[in-house]
Amino acid sequence: MSVYRHEYRAYTGKLTPLWTRVRVVARYALGEAWSSRITVGLFTFSMLPVVVYLIGIFLANNALARVLVMQGNGVLEVNSGYFLRVLSTQCWFAVVMTAWIAPRLVSFDLADNALPILLSHPISRFRFVLGKFIALFLCLSLVTWVPGLLLFAYQGYSCSKPWMGANLRIVTGLLLGALLWIGFLSMLGLALSSWVKWRTVAIGVIFAAVFVPAGVGGIITAILRTRWGYLLNLPVMMTQLWQRFLGAPPTMRDDMRLPTSAIALVLATVCLICVAMLNARIRAREVVRG
Amino acid sequence: MSIIGLDGLQVRLGGRTVLDGLTGELHGKAIGLLGPNGAGKSTLINTLLGFHTPSRGTACVFGLDSRRDRARIRQSIGYMPENDSFIGNMTGVRFVRYMAELAGLPRAEALERAHEALFYVGLGEVRHRNIDTYSLGMKQLIKLAQALAHGPQLLILDEPTNGLDPLARQRMIHTLQEIRKGGSIRLLISSHLLRDIDETRDEVLILKDGRIAALSNIEEERRSHRNFMELEIMGSADEFCDSLRDLGCECACFAGGRVKLVMPDRMEPRDLYVMASRHGLQIRRIHRRRDSLEDIFMRAMDADSARGELVRL
Repeated sequence: MSVYRHEYRAYTGKLTPLWTRVRVVARYALGEAWSSRITVGLFTFSMLPVVVYLIGIFLANNALARVLVMQGNGVLEVNSGYFLRVLSTQCWFAVVMTAWIAPRLVSFDLADNALPILLSHPISRFRFVLGKFIALFLCLSLVTWVPGLLLFAYQGYSCSKPWMGANLRIVTGLLLGALLWIGFLSMLGLALSSWVKWRTVAIGVIFAAVFVPAGVGGIITAILRTRWGYLLNLPVMMTQLWQRFLGAPPTMRDDMRLPTSAIALVLATVCLICVAMLNARIRAREVVRG
Repeated sequence: MSIIGLDGLQVRLGGRTVLDGLTGELHGKAIGLLGPNGAGKSTLINTLLGFHTPSRGTACVFGLDSRRDRARIRQSIGYMPENDSFIGNMTGVRFVRYMAELAGLPRAEALERAHEALFYVGLGEVRHRNIDTYSLGMKQLIKLAQALAHGPQLLILDEPTNGLDPLARQRMIHTLQEIRKGGSIRLLISSHLLRDIDETRDEVLILKDGRIAALSNIEEERRSHRNFMELEIMGSADEFCDSLRDLGCECACFAGGRVKLVMPDRMEPRDLYVMASRHGLQIRRIHRRRDSLEDIFMRAMDADSARGELVRL
């Protein structure tokens, strides 16, 4: 082919290796995600708490500023509890980002039935989903562990005492907690989006998947007076998990705390369900039984 | 090497046998895949692309097994599906570039080829518009452009003229004929419209109820049926036909004195006049007819495909 001659010409150049096709999917998915002004707006909004926490760290490490701003009132301590608040805030922003971005990555492909064409190229279904997963994971990373690590680094830099080495558990907990949560959210977001053709509905379904079971779990806990109802409550489960990762003091009564193994089991089960959902939906051709 | 090789291919979907025991080899530059709705054309294409796994037998493209060498087959194929299939909120050029990159072209080459492919199919002027603003004909063309962009060896087109107005259809057929003429790319065109296939193919595979009803090279078929004649006579045709049969003709009589016959090689048209004179008949019209694809298709549909044998036409 040639633009000026309008003739077909076979391609004889080099081909990229098969594994790099994941990167292509991820790159186009990132482009799709960030083509929306709302994504940029949400990202900007999610950085506001980071700025607040940054100011908090500045005040905690600067006696003069503390006197000027807080007029000697209150104690501001940057410890595991402080970073738990950072992690919690940013991780809930990640839910909002997931609800907005995940449907954009999948629904457009499904709405116009693009999968037969996409999957007729040398890319497997697994790699296709992996590309989308990487794109969403990267977007969520920008609002969770990346600012968390930057705040940690700033605290280490600002503190007059050798602080970083003594608080390595905070940074590992922060990283582990955020990675676990955004990995889980990415799976959930993609799986739910793949089953809903309309983006607006998909956004609602993602929020519902996080908060409706939490309500049901709360009812079960209240009526049966058992802690196991919290296994349906993602906010409570994750808060407990993050507290353990960061070594922050628990906020719930001992008899209401869930074992880590039970939380891990619930998260793993939901992830497996998401894989099954994606496997059933991300296909070039649907097979009608009967 | 054959373009497509089928060996006892059986595909079961949803508990139903959709393709049953397909065996044959296709070598043509442009292969027509024909059959009534539900015959299994799209299923065969999907199996070649590796979307469906054969429950028995094998399907090969350029000698590569559709089960084992899925990625390599897809690398060498451009596929234009039957129904709408695109990403509506992408511009034409971005979509085609995306598909070319997925097929393995580096970024810069993919962009260049995307522009070229869009100009080639006639979408050059609208390549920066979002696809969901395209007309139905343009949407068909963008599917063709993405199938061509990475320079495939085989282009699989599933009902390429679906929903096109006569002008757009003509343009699509013309483009396909041009690609066929170019010779560097093989075509597999599935359609239930005989005219589309007739204008673009040189070999045809006819499916019926998931079995091969006919597999033939059209030009060879036409050459072998060059003695097909149509007559219009005045007088009783029955005795005339009986006499022709005695001479070795295959013969059928119709109302209004019309007679269709296939003459053996040793016979000449002059013999027909001699025979007619003996019976006191007049031959008013004599027409030597080329076998049309429709004739081939109708014969294949009439043949008892339930035997599971390949019908050589």
